[in-house]
Amino acid sequence: MIQFLAKRFLQIFPAFIGITLLTFSLVHLIPGDPVELLAGERGIDPARHEQMKKAMGLDKPLAVQYLQYITNVFKGDLGKSFVTKKPVLKEFMTLFPATLELSFCAMIFAVLFGLPAGVIAGVKRGTVFDHSVMTVSLTGYSMPIFWWGLLLILFFSVNLGWTPVSGRLSALYWIDADTGFMLIDAFRSDEQGAFKSALSHLILPSIVLGTIPLAVIARMTRSSMLEVLQEDYVRTARAKGLSPARVIMIHALRNALIPVITVIGLQVGVLLAGAILTETIFAWPGVGKWIVESINRRDYPVVQGGILIISSLIIFVNLLVDILYGIVNPRISRA
Amino acid sequence: MTKLVEIKKLSVDFDGFKAVDDVDLTVDAGKVVGIVGESGSGKSVTQLALMGLIPYPGIIEAERLMFNGNDLLKMQDKRRRQITGKDVSMIFQEPMTSLNPCFTVEYQISEALKIHEGGTRQQRRDRVIELLSQVGIPVPEDRLKSFPHQLSGGMCQRVMIAMAIACNPSLLVADEPTTALDVTIQAQILELLVDLQKKNNMALILITHDMAVIAETVEDVVVMYAGQVVEKNSAQNIFTSPSHPYTHALLNALPERNVQARRLPTIPGIVPGKYNRPKGCLFHPRCSFVQEICKKEIPAYTRKDKMAVRCHFPLVNYPS
Ligand SMILES: Nc1ncnc2c1ncn2[C@@H]1O[C@H](COP(=O)(O)OP(=O)(O)OP(=O)(O)O)[C@@H](O)[C@H]1O
Ligand SMILES: [Mg+2]
Repeated sequence: MIQFLAKRFLQIFPAFIGITLLTFSLVHLIPGDPVELLAGERGIDPARHEQMKKAMGLDKPLAVQYLQYITNVFKGDLGKSFVTKKPVLKEFMTLFPATLELSFCAMIFAVLFGLPAGVIAGVKRGTVFDHSVMTVSLTGYSMPIFWWGLLLILFFSVNLGWTPVSGRLSALYWIDADTGFMLIDAFRSDEQGAFKSALSHLILPSIVLGTIPLAVIARMTRSSMLEVLQEDYVRTARAKGLSPARVIMIHALRNALIPVITVIGLQVGVLLAGAILTETIFAWPGVGKWIVESINRRDYPVVQGGILIISSLIIFVNLLVDILYGIVNPRISRA
Repeated sequence: MTKLVEIKKLSVDFDGFKAVDDVDLTVDAGKVVGIVGESGSGKSVTQLALMGLIPYPGIIEAERLMFNGNDLLKMQDKRRRQITGKDVSMIFQEPMTSLNPCFTVEYQISEALKIHEGGTRQQRRDRVIELLSQVGIPVPEDRLKSFPHQLSGGMCQRVMIAMAIACNPSLLVADEPTTALDVTIQAQILELLVDLQKKNNMALILITHDMAVIAETVEDVVVMYAGQVVEKNSAQNIFTSPSHPYTHALLNALPERNVQARRLPTIPGIVPGKYNRPKGCLFHPRCSFVQEICKKEIPAYTRKDKMAVRCHFPLVNYPS
């Protein structure tokens, strides 16, 4: 197990370097000049332009810029935003709880509905329920996030007026951001109804963001369940006289979950990527929206830094999944 | 002698294919019955039907399906599960895959105890240790926390046996329990089964390909072919005077009977499958004694004294 962990840790470094290289080159490939964008409509005189470029370090060759960047990164310095002049890491930390809260709720939604749907579809294979789950999940999977989000807003927020259109909290409330997680902060504050407002703001974005993971989890659980149900040990469990519920929930599910956990872990990447779109649609003040806005402003340090942190997070979660996988699957951890 | 198992006219249908076709089988309490037959002859499916383990989309039909005086056909699922695993249990051909890879040996054995007998955790643990030593696992205390992948095939089968006999069943069905094991282990496992059968006075249905095993361990033999029972006889009579041409051919293909031959005789043709079930006697295309009537009429399963045969022209004292 220790050897396995050490090996997995070593694999992180090449991935990390690859990400920095990729984001760096992509960001610099986007046409457009940050200085001009900062200056706005009025334009800027060439001498001042050069001066600002120098201050931002954009006058040096790309290779030098990259080396400079990567050394700073290893020192823990992700640079400062061109626009706000604040350290990228600090800005990220203030915005990240919003994204985390949204992703977390989306994942809960996906697992809460996807897992049981997959299990039942697998057990009741070929029935109407099975076919419906498969059709709905395929539809959900293929639904463009943008369109799906707008559709839900139109129906639930505009037509029915059940949920708010955007943001994290009604403007009626003012909550101190102690933890940055609106649900927790609102719950702890003495503002009446703030928690309910925070919750109602979370529902639609969580559904939109959780739809693709839900579809993937449901399909994976179903196929994993189908495979496991015809294993010899399931027959053994039945031969012991166990109830069908016990056979499914204990003997089959435990084994069926092994691949599903991997898939759930992989969905974290999907979630963070999807958060960029979802946050934009719902004006959710998280890192996704922040990165999109920074791309528009050619705020290189923010884009690079933001993507780097998110990618590192994904790598970290994947590592976590591998460890968890070892725990649920005795064949790996003790091998 | 009480009839423990009584099966009459059992058929199991998989999407129109009769994997088991009109099978009769009786097992008396405390007896050892062997079932032989080529691959695909319906040996396993017959026993799965008795256990109530026929997988989707199999359909069971029977005139009678009795176990220990209980009518399994009319019994509710819940009541039936109280019998399955307690009074009748089964072990399978692939010991390695028949144990759940996610649970420890102790968990899997004590689960059967918990469901059927209850008791405290400590009582169950003591019983598991007792069972493990009964099936010949050395230092059973050390094996409680083992996972199946840490055990050899022979060990896994011993664990399976421990699990099967946990609630002192009156019938144990062993479906080719040694096929997946190597030869030395095979003998040990068989010896263990016969030993337990005698000690616990339980009935044993032993499915096997191995005629030598039949000769050594079994009192009655049932020969199956293409989903039907073609002959039932005492182990002694089967070897000296087989009645069905298929049994006869099966015995003739034994290596022991062909010590001098350079090539073993085989039975020409193959077992009919889903699409090529012949009319009349299912064995007639491969039978060396075939007559016109065999191609048209299905022979009835007829009893004579202690034996029974499904053939228009059973062999009488035919030298085998
Ligand atoms: N779940 C199932 N669905 C469809 N057909 C099946 C199923 N299980 C068994 N069969 C068919 O039933 C027939 C009898 O199978 P069975 O497993 O009883 O044979 P067997 O005599 O035990 O053979 P073996 O010696 O190989 O174990 C085979 O032709 C098999 O293809
Ligand atoms: Mg079989």
